Amino acid sequence: MAIIQAHQLSKVYGAGDTAVTALDRVSLSVDPGEFVAVMGPSGCGKSTLLHLLGGLDRPTEGTVSIDGHKLTDLSDAQLTELRRRRIGFVFQFFNLIPVLNAVENAALPVTLDGVRPAEARAKAVIWLTKVGLGDRRSHRPDQLSAGQQQRVAIARALVAEPALVLADEPTGNLDTRASDEIAALLRQVANEWGRAVIMVTHDPRIAAYADRIIFLKDGAIADETVLEPKNAQNAAMVAGKMQAIGT
Amino acid sequence: MNLQLTLAARYLSGRKLRSVLTTLAIVFGAVVIFGMNTMLPAFTGAFQANALAASGQVDASITLRTSDIFDSRIVDRVAAIDGVRAFSGLLNRAINLPPDYLDADPGTPDAISAVTLVGVDPAQATTVHAYVLRAGRFLGENDSAAAVISQSLADVLDVEVGDPIRLPTASGEAELTVVGIQPTRLVPGNEEVLVTLRQAQVMLGMPGKINTIEVNFDSLDEDRRNQIEESLLAALGDTYQVGALASNSELLTNLRLARQIFNLLAVMALVMGGFIIFNTFRTIVAERRRDIGMLRALGATRWTIVGVILSEGLLQGIVGTAIGIALGYALAVGMISVLNPVMHQYINMRIDTPAISPLLVVLTGLIGVGVTLFAGLLPAISAGRVTPLEALRPSVGRVSLRRLAGLGFWGGLAMIVLAVLALLTHNMSLIGLGGVLFVAGLILAAPALVNPIANLFGALAAKVFARDGTAALAQGNISRQPSRAAITASTTLIALAILVMAAGLFSSVELGFGRVLRRSLGSDYILLPPAVAVWGADVGADPALAEELRGIQGVEVVSTLRFAPTLINGVATSAMGIEPANYSQVSSLAFTRGDEEEAYAALSEGRNLIVNGVLATAAQITVGDEVELITPTGRHAYQVVAIAGDYLNAKIATAYISHANIAGDFGRNEDVLIQANLTSGVDRSVVEAAIRDAVRPYPQFRMVAGQEFIEENLQVFKTAFVGVYGMVIFLAVPSLIAMVNTLAIGVIERTREIGVLRAVGATRRQVRTIVVTEALILSAIGTAFGLLSGIYLGYMAVGAMVAAGFPMEYAFPAAGSLIAIAAGILFGVLAAIIPARQAARLEIVQALRYE
Repeated sequence: MAIIQAHQLSKVYGAGDTAVTALDRVSLSVDPGEFVAVMGPSGCGKSTLLHLLGGLDRPTEGTVSIDGHKLTDLSDAQLTELRRRRIGFVFQFFNLIPVLNAVENAALPVTLDGVRPAEARAKAVIWLTKVGLGDRRSHRPDQLSAGQQQRVAIARALVAEPALVLADEPTGNLDTRASDEIAALLRQVANEWGRAVIMVTHDPRIAAYADRIIFLKDGAIADETVLEPKNAQNAAMVAGKMQAIGT
Repeated sequence: MNLQLTLAARYLSGRKLRSVLTTLAIVFGAVVIFGMNTMLPAFTGAFQANALAASGQVDASITLRTSDIFDSRIVDRVAAIDGVRAFSGLLNRAINLPPDYLDADPGTPDAISAVTLVGVDPAQATTVHAYVLRAGRFLGENDSAAAVISQSLADVLDVEVGDPIRLPTASGEAELTVVGIQPTRLVPGNEEVLVTLRQAQVMLGMPGKINTIEVNFDSLDEDRRNQIEESLLAALGDTYQVGALASNSELLTNLRLARQIFNLLAVMALVMGGFIIFNTFRTIVAERRRDIGMLRALGATRWTIVGVILSEGLLQGIVGTAIGIALGYALAVGMISVLNPVMHQYINMRIDTPAISPLLVVLTGLIGVGVTLFAGLLPAISAGRVTPLEALRPSVGRVSLRRLAGLGFWGGLAMIVLAVLALLTHNMSLIGLGGVLFVAGLILAAPALVNPIANLFGALAAKVFARDGTAALAQGNISRQPSRAAITASTTLIALAILVMAAGLFSSVELGFGRVLRRSLGSDYILLPPAVAVWGADVGADPALAEELRGIQGVEVVSTLRFAPTLINGVATSAMGIEPANYSQVSSLAFTRGDEEEAYAALSEGRNLIVNGVLATAAQITVGDEVELITPTGRHAYQVVAIAGDYLNAKIATAYISHANIAGDFGRNEDVLIQANLTSGVDRSVVEAAIRDAVRPYPQFRMVAGQEFIEENLQVFKTAFVGVYGMVIFLAVPSLIAMVNTLAIGVIERTREIGVLRAVGATRRQVRTIVVTEALILSAIGTAFGLLSGIYLGYMAVGAMVAAGFPMEYAFPAAGSLIAIAAGILFGVLAAIIPARQAARLEIVQALRYE
């Protein structure tokens, strides 16, 4: 059963002559353990879709359900709690708190949820170790490389054991090698650790790590492709699809 | 809470300079509150201990409520009271000694500048006190010109038993023979010279008078002693009091006033500190929008975000207040140690190291932390309203004038209009309220006015020094954040408003008091006592001196002042005796109500008096009222014929009566100040020499030429002004901090933009110019508003002083306004130094990468 379902999702900014339709009746669903990439040209509505799916913004029309909870029925406080416990976020620019070290950053969601500091720290250490940063736990963001910072962000996204991980251009600020590492890690999050992962990206090479790709154009779904696992041609195929759609 | 405090501590330590600067604002306020409220009570406590020590170790001291002299036969009434075991009538008076009177050595500081002459009935006194003597004997009934002094005084005078000592008296210098020496004086207060009562009455020109009756009771029972006290008061009447010496001296009054002024300064410093905290937290919230949004995205509640911001405020408030309390105590101890030698020299008093009052610590802590939290509350709530999405997108919205010109602007404008209307009512209460409305209205309306003012000063800057487009960039930066600019400018507004207000007040004081000064002291010569206007502590001269001066060829007119303390409508008042016939020839009162000629004429006939403005306000009396004066001869009704004042008594509640009435009702004929005019055309040097000869037997008087004394006093004004300007600068520092904060944050926020500017060819100098121009525009906004506010507040302050009875008229502070403009420009330049350097030194590539 899908962990997240979006039905006829639309988002319009402004009104009247200045109205801009960022998203136009998009429907999708993602199952636990599934890794879905959302691709499209700049301004096609990828990030808008992600924000709506994560409850960071409210749709003009349509609904989003996570774990059976309709987001539109939830108050701000309930949405906040949902983000704390059921959703993990990974942003393009890491968004780590600069004055906290790796463990403290990774522990943030559970700390905010009222978990005792020692327990929160222990959970954060577990996930930092899993993402390969067990020996960097006391380092501050400015003492970590870009790739390492993104790993901390992923550990933070997972520390509360969420059902869903939303990643907005997680490799946008990384070099090729680090990008591959992060993409592989996200794949591991989905396939090994059983989370539903939705990743927005413009990079075909990174999108090729996903199980399925949704192509957006002008706010609507233009195409959808299921990828063969470990097919070396996936990246080229995705690039070709992007070109065909007209990006 | 753990997370919030952790984040707060980390953010504060991550921006050390800004944290220090913001915390300094709280430190200032706490230093002033704690320091002054620790030091001043120590002063007043010492004064009160002094008064108590002077009253000696007796069960009760009886005095007139006015502390004046009274008939010595009153003692008989005391003796008749059941329960009185022993009693002693005495006449004691502090005698201020002229400088170098004892050592005749101007090069050495005077060890003793005043003594207390105590006249006692030897038989009575020894029943009340046990006089221990180290050498010689005590006073005898038949002694004349004999004195008993302490060993410490004898050491200073270098005398032994049998040696003579000299003291200035109303009838000229008196010589006394030391007959006994007591142990060294240990209690605070002046050294005492004990003489017989008759001797003191002659020396002070107060025959048959005493001013204190010391009484010992025959019971230790508290209730019984209270009964005896009540019986005493019933027998003596309500013009007398039983207890310690009155503590309503001018010095204590001035100390209380000083405490109020310092507390007001402290409150203003804290209010400005609050503005700075508010401004800093607003910019912190703007700076950390992404962090805040991310925390919200991760599931932090609004109140968690509010708690993070308030935790920073709490930490700064606690640290700032703690440092302020420590520094405040150090300031108090330091100032006391500096002032103690001066106090010891002039009034033989020592202030002990002040105790730390736990209540004051708690109060200062509450105020310091409270102001910080209160100031940070709105920004914290605003931070809590940041949505996760808002913070993930940069804000690029255009500033909408309609939004700005909303309730705040129109409300502010309405308040300004009301304030201006209040000026027209000439009602002081309304004008005072108008002052608050004016400043608050300006601050409210400021955000909407920022753009037009920024445009104006930006255009000016472009013409003067920023011709290459940098002024337009600077002006645009300010227009982007009008609220932030308005808040920053508000701290400059407050500092400069105070500066201009002080300038207006002092210009007016100088004008008003200067006019009164020239009228009061315009005579050719003045004979001044050691302490001018502290008349009770001065020994004057009997009428023989004035008569002798009148007899000198070349002296046209001599007029004298006499003094007696009294009470009018419960207000402690100086009754000054003048000669109505000739007073106006050497001096003049400045009349605000009543006709001058008629008033002087009325003084010569019956019990009429002129009151000064301070007394009229304090006692709520006006021309035509009948008032009751408490005198040694009982209560007497007087008619108020005018309201007028002179310079010397301008700050003290004063009533002017005739010499005849002060002699008849108060028993006073001692001249405490003498003024003389010469006949025109005489040889001044000859006449002056003759006057000096006549005055020589009266060393308590200093002869000055009237003009010279006027210059001396005008110089005192200027010195006082400098001191107050110093205090204003103290308040201006927080505004400087606010500007530095805002500019620094602005540079950080626009790092990438600065990188782009440099990438497309702007030089480092041009980048510096943008920041400096921004600072100048900000300070120009603050200065403009500060000038307007200061002029209004100055007018209001002068009005308040006039209403309180001080002789003043409003003088526009032209010089002060120019100083304020110069200070505003200086603020701008100083505030820009560090941020401009920061901006100019940014590496282009790093700046372009900055997020």
